[in-house]
Amino acid sequence: MKDILKMVVVLTLICAVSGLTLAAVYDVTKGPIEYARLKNVKEPAVKAVLSGYDNDPIKDRVQIPIGTDKKGKPVNLVVFPAKKGGKTFAVAFEGAGSGYGGNIGVMVGFNLADNNISGISIVGHSETPGLGARITETQFTDSFKGKSLAKELTTDDINALSGATLSSKGSVAAVNQARGLLEKYRDKIVQGG
Amino acid sequence: MAVVKEFTKGFWDVLPPFRLVLGLCPVLAVTTSAENGAGMGLATTFVLVCSNVLVSLLRKIIPSKVRIAAYIVIIASFVVMVELLMQAYSYPLYQALGIFIPLIVVNCIILGRAEAFAGKNGVAASAADGLGIGLGFTISLFVLGGIREIIGNGTFLGLHVLGTGYEPFTFMVRAPGAFVSLGVMLALINWISARLEARKRRNAS
Amino acid sequence: MSFGDYMLFIVGAILVNNILLAKFLGNCPFLGVSRRMDTATGMSMAVIFVMTMAGMITWLVQYYVLEPLSIEYLQTIAFILVIAALVQLVEIVMQKSLPALYRALGIFLPLITTNCAVLGVAIINIKEEYNFLDTVIFSFASAVGYSLALILFAGIRERFVLARIPKVFDGTAIGLVTAGFLALAFSGFAGLVGGH
Repeated sequence: MKDILKMVVVLTLICAVSGLTLAAVYDVTKGPIEYARLKNVKEPAVKAVLSGYDNDPIKDRVQIPIGTDKKGKPVNLVVFPAKKGGKTFAVAFEGAGSGYGGNIGVMVGFNLADNNISGISIVGHSETPGLGARITETQFTDSFKGKSLAKELTTDDINALSGATLSSKGSVAAVNQARGLLEKYRDKIVQGG
Repeated sequence: MAVVKEFTKGFWDVLPPFRLVLGLCPVLAVTTSAENGAGMGLATTFVLVCSNVLVSLLRKIIPSKVRIAAYIVIIASFVVMVELLMQAYSYPLYQALGIFIPLIVVNCIILGRAEAFAGKNGVAASAADGLGIGLGFTISLFVLGGIREIIGNGTFLGLHVLGTGYEPFTFMVRAPGAFVSLGVMLALINWISARLEARKRRNAS
Repeated sequence: MSFGDYMLFIVGAILVNNILLAKFLGNCPFLGVSRRMDTATGMSMAVIFVMTMAGMITWLVQYYVLEPLSIEYLQTIAFILVIAALVQLVEIVMQKSLPALYRALGIFLPLITTNCAVLGVAIINIKEEYNFLDTVIFSFASAVGYSLALILFAGIRERFVLARIPKVFDGTAIGLVTAGFLALAFSGFAGLVGGH
């Protein structure tokens, strides 16, 4: 009996100490992990769509709550602001639209003053290689540059890919979704930056 | 002197994974480059030293019937710690090593040392044992990774060492090359130790 | 996924992305128990059984315990404990109710806790965001792939007795080189699901 008690006590103690220590480590590393992840995963796309800034858009990111997912967890829009001399002149964030093979994720950069698109970069897709996957090529993405935000884009506005209508449409839909988010949360996006 | 011996044995007498044929999965999987090999080796060393020290400290408290369970909890905690720290401060390496970071937990070297050594010896000796074996493991991984990187990719630590005209023998960085190069290296180590053994015997007689 | 997709998924898990030869999981027992055909077969059966069970249970733990509590960072520690407990439980149940099977597989069960293929598959299931059905299929197919490689390898290794192997290569070294050629053969299956 005494043996069993000792076993239970020792194991419980070890588990408790381990749990507490890990919770503490998790708490300390939470911030740096999020930063490191965004820095490695998102920064290349952010760099591709924004230019001329002197801040660290990853570090200055702004989280804007935009609703909840199926399980009721809050979903945040992560906005990367580009600043010069401390003033935000452009922002970048992601939009998504459905293409031929699944969702297309697009990082879209917006010039706030000129109210146009500073650039886009495809961050995730599962389109057909050689066909729809050409949406990642610059001759496609560059055709979004400088487009006005006054109205929604259509495939006529850009250099749509022949033979990959759905992929082109999906990319445009993703950009339009991002544009919609900018309209809806403009105050918060600009203020936050 | 005993502590020094516990430390140095890891570099030859029980050099993992060659003398101590354990923990092969990470050896095969991450040695596609010298850098990945060294990263994996150091992460393993950290877990090995910490778990050895803690197991040795607690060796009189942990009842022997539940010792394996206790060791697994201790090791797993340090592995999670490494996972978190690596993600925070060395993200590209974390991505390169991928699933093999959490799998350090089932690296038989670590549980093996806890069971065979740290559970029976003092703290200083256990720390030295862990550090020696860990560093031996790191060097093995670094060398194997280096060889595979040079032959399979023409680079060493990312630098082109064989010139741009070299046609990489990609077999070496693929899965089959991992097995073959580890096997050949193991044979080489067998050969060297057979030679040393023979010389020792000659000198003795 | 359609039926055809599932077939590809299964073939991929068994042959193309063979967990042992392409993903390097579970190599310690692979070299340890492959000297004889009967131990290799015993280990294979035990792996198929435990890996499928562990895949299902860890999936449930991830989505019904860790995620609701927001402690996904404890995944590694939770999974290894679940697997260790599962192996113990299987051992006890089998000993009581299926003594014949226990006599055949019993000695392999404790070895499975430290078989990284089991934990590896459990983690891959979560990483690839498989749903429950995918998880069951993937765990089972991976285990079948593991068994196939293990049994084939044991078959080759049994013949070493008759071969004249250079002394320095004797034992594990020649085993590794052979495994390399087996991996080379398996990589030929890549074309089966290529371009997908």
